[in-house]
Amino acid sequence: MSLLVADQLSKTYKSTGWFRSDQSADQGVHHISFTIESGSCLGLLGESGAGKSTIGKIILGLLAPDSGKVLFQGVDLYAASRSQRKELRRDLQVVFQDSYSAVNPRMTIKQIIGEPLRNYERLSAKEEIRVISELLEMMGLRADDMYKMPSQMSGGQLQRVNIARAIALKPKLVVLDEPVSSLDMIVQKQILLHLKELKEKHGFSYLFISHDVMAIHTLSDQVAVLDNGTIVETIDAESLFDTVHPSCQRIVGAKSSDQFEGFVF
Amino acid sequence: MGVIRNIQWIVGRQRVTTVIPVVLLLIIVLAGIFAPLLAPNDPNFVDLSHKLQGPSPQFPLGTDQLGRCLLSRLLYGTQVSLSLALLIVTACVSIGLVIGSLAGYTGGKVDGIIMRICDAILAIPSLILAISLIAIWGAGWKQMAIALIIVQSVYYTRFIRGMVVNLKQQTYVVAARIMGTSPVRMVTRHIIPNLLPSLFIVVTLEIGWVIMDISALSFLGLGVQAPTPEWGAMINEGKTFIRSHPRLIIAPGVIILCVVALLNIIGETLGDKNGKAIPMRKAAKHSNKLKGGQHEREGNHS
Repeated sequence: MSLLVADQLSKTYKSTGWFRSDQSADQGVHHISFTIESGSCLGLLGESGAGKSTIGKIILGLLAPDSGKVLFQGVDLYAASRSQRKELRRDLQVVFQDSYSAVNPRMTIKQIIGEPLRNYERLSAKEEIRVISELLEMMGLRADDMYKMPSQMSGGQLQRVNIARAIALKPKLVVLDEPVSSLDMIVQKQILLHLKELKEKHGFSYLFISHDVMAIHTLSDQVAVLDNGTIVETIDAESLFDTVHPSCQRIVGAKSSDQFEGFVF
Repeated sequence: MGVIRNIQWIVGRQRVTTVIPVVLLLIIVLAGIFAPLLAPNDPNFVDLSHKLQGPSPQFPLGTDQLGRCLLSRLLYGTQVSLSLALLIVTACVSIGLVIGSLAGYTGGKVDGIIMRICDAILAIPSLILAISLIAIWGAGWKQMAIALIIVQSVYYTRFIRGMVVNLKQQTYVVAARIMGTSPVRMVTRHIIPNLLPSLFIVVTLEIGWVIMDISALSFLGLGVQAPTPEWGAMINEGKTFIRSHPRLIIAPGVIILCVVALLNIIGETLGDKNGKAIPMRKAAKHSNKLKGGQHEREGNHS
């Protein structure tokens, strides 16, 4: 059984109002279907506005689709009961793009990483510290960092904290919503390699949302290319650059730097 | 923790222009607290043989129409006015936090109903509404306090609800939801701590208004009753002698003016510095930087 099945998801943003017609209804996503197998990573590649984040929100249970179903471990996410949903949430975590806004600025790193643990597991204070230090070290940070405040950390460090928080409960699926897009290239690479290592060691599955072809190529096993709210092609990551689909070629091609060669900056 | 850190931030970064009003206000507050030690006479001791006397060593500000020491009454009046104002504002903030976060967080119909009730109350000028409530219940400081709490908490509810709606959309609140944090914890741990800085500024400004309201109602004879010394009530009692002995109303009038002006100045400066429009994240960042050294040291010890 697949870990996650997205079946014909559609969501349109309609601007409702007295003086507006329904002409803007073409925004959103249409008939999105994909599956994520346990232990694999599906990359969701697309331009800004292609609907990547909308799909992320639907998968996370934050935004009900107009039609279609999300089956997570065989359970329909939007038809599940409250308690079922709480259990499902445990196995479904997220890392957001902006690491600073994804953490409460008034909490210490320990409180931030400890939050999911406190929600689902009853650990003693000592146990909690042990688990948090383990997580921090797993992410390449020092255990001492748990007493810092978010503003004392760099964007890359804080993103590692966010990842540590997301994997604290050992979820089955982590939605990575542009997790490295606001970081510089070196830190991007480090974090991507870290994520890859975690996936191989602990068997996490990812839904990796990004506009960055190289990042997608590094981490994903399969890539779904999104254009204008629909998936135009689902392709193995290795053969991503050999794609023959025209709009897929455009998206993949636009990212390679030789596009800029004709320009003088 | 968050509150203390925040107050530290606010206090720690002020210049002389903010420190002076704070110090002056503190002097008035301390004078009220230590009134029993500072007051030269019993504020309620009636001695008609000394009535309407001018300032003298025994009565530094003279006496009123019943021969009571004016200075002593002012000092004791500080206790009454300030503690009543504090009581009312605390109650309003508590009510505002509960109802405001309920409306803001739940949204939808609950929000709509609560906000429409608030609108209805806000449509009536607050002092007039308070007076009509007191007209139903009868005069007295308890009735006045309850009437003012009902009238004032509407403002706080609206303000807090607006902040909650805004904070609810922050990524860290969404993240907390995904991590399975319960709605109650979300409000108490993530939302309320982040709206306190702005609330603190609003409260500073509002205390001044509450003191004015208390004085106004007491002046009308609806609030604090004789012989309890209260600034507004003192002006009311002295108004008969406005031509012959104006100091009877000037003294309490000046005190009210000073306290309200000081509170307004403090509130305004804090508002200006913090940028009144939702400064939370910036404030938090700065406060964390201030506390940063300490945290690091703690970190190294463990």
